[in-house]
Amino acid sequence: MSIIKYFGLDKIGLFFRIIKQHGGIRASLYKLYRMDELMDGTLVGTDNFGNKYFENKNNMFGRDRWVEYSPHVGMDYDGSQVSVEWYGWLHHKTDIPPPEAKKLGYSWLADPNQPNPTGTTDAYIPYSTTRPKVEPWIPKSKSQ
Amino acid sequence: MSLTVLKNLSPVTRAINGALFSAMRHQSSTTDGKSASTPTEYKPYSPFQITSSDAEYVLARVDDLINWGRKGSLWPLTFGLACCAVEMMHCAAARYDLDRFGIIFRASPRQADMPDPRWVISMGSCANGGGYYHYSYSVVRGCDRIVPVDIYVPGCPPTAEALLYALLQLQRKVKNMKTLQMWYRK
Repeated sequence: MSIIKYFGLDKIGLFFRIIKQHGGIRASLYKLYRMDELMDGTLVGTDNFGNKYFENKNNMFGRDRWVEYSPHVGMDYDGSQVSVEWYGWLHHKTDIPPPEAKKLGYSWLADPNQPNPTGTTDAYIPYSTTRPKVEPWIPKSKSQ
Repeated sequence: MSLTVLKNLSPVTRAINGALFSAMRHQSSTTDGKSASTPTEYKPYSPFQITSSDAEYVLARVDDLINWGRKGSLWPLTFGLACCAVEMMHCAAARYDLDRFGIIFRASPRQADMPDPRWVISMGSCANGGGYYHYSYSVVRGCDRIVPVDIYVPGCPPTAEALLYALLQLQRKVKNMKTLQMWYRK
């Protein structure tokens, strides 16, 4: 181990490299605003939504693979936007990234690329099992 | 069974949950620093993009500010029993670290700010629908028979990730609140 590395001075170089990798100060600040951190990693692949998947083996397990959500979702990204093919790789179920692995052709994957509809009009709302707590007021119409 | 009551709930939100997500941008909205020349169409931060008058536009922006503040300082009143409570503690502890979202568990209703608006998260199958104890004589079969619930977290017990995801969903819901816009509409 060199003396520079011993005192952690190589992190200064890493800092500038990360900023350069993210495309300058302005782009780095935007990424920092959007993702709360700037991570140094290699691009492993992109899915058909535009989500980018990165890896850096120097990070600890659990932080060594991450996803950068597609830019067009803005700040409204969500874990369910990760595509089905990449889910296994991202969660360490497999070490083979989808571009190299066989494409998932399971018949039970009905619409695999549907993000969570909670909070939208497509959300599932079950029927109520309780008696209604309010009595709806049905106005009497005037006899014509 | 674990039931978490959060501060701040307006009856208004319940009515307008399916808020509009439109890629349309208001003419004078310049809040985000993205240039218009980029080929990809960004989803705007605010869900309130269609405003019919100047007053509504101003109120929509104030609503954005209020919602941003509210979703960044959720102080849940913790009510946790048994295994779900353990997962809830994991969620607040170092690994998942709810504090980075501004979510701090408070043990007393006074500190958790019980006045409106407030939200409820029902965590685990016992709170959702009675679960294992569904057929017991002394059990309410789901806490939604007593309090209206915003987010249900399924599982027995749900993982700490599941609760974290529920809280993020709640933040999405808070972001769509139209407190002032509904006041103006009246």
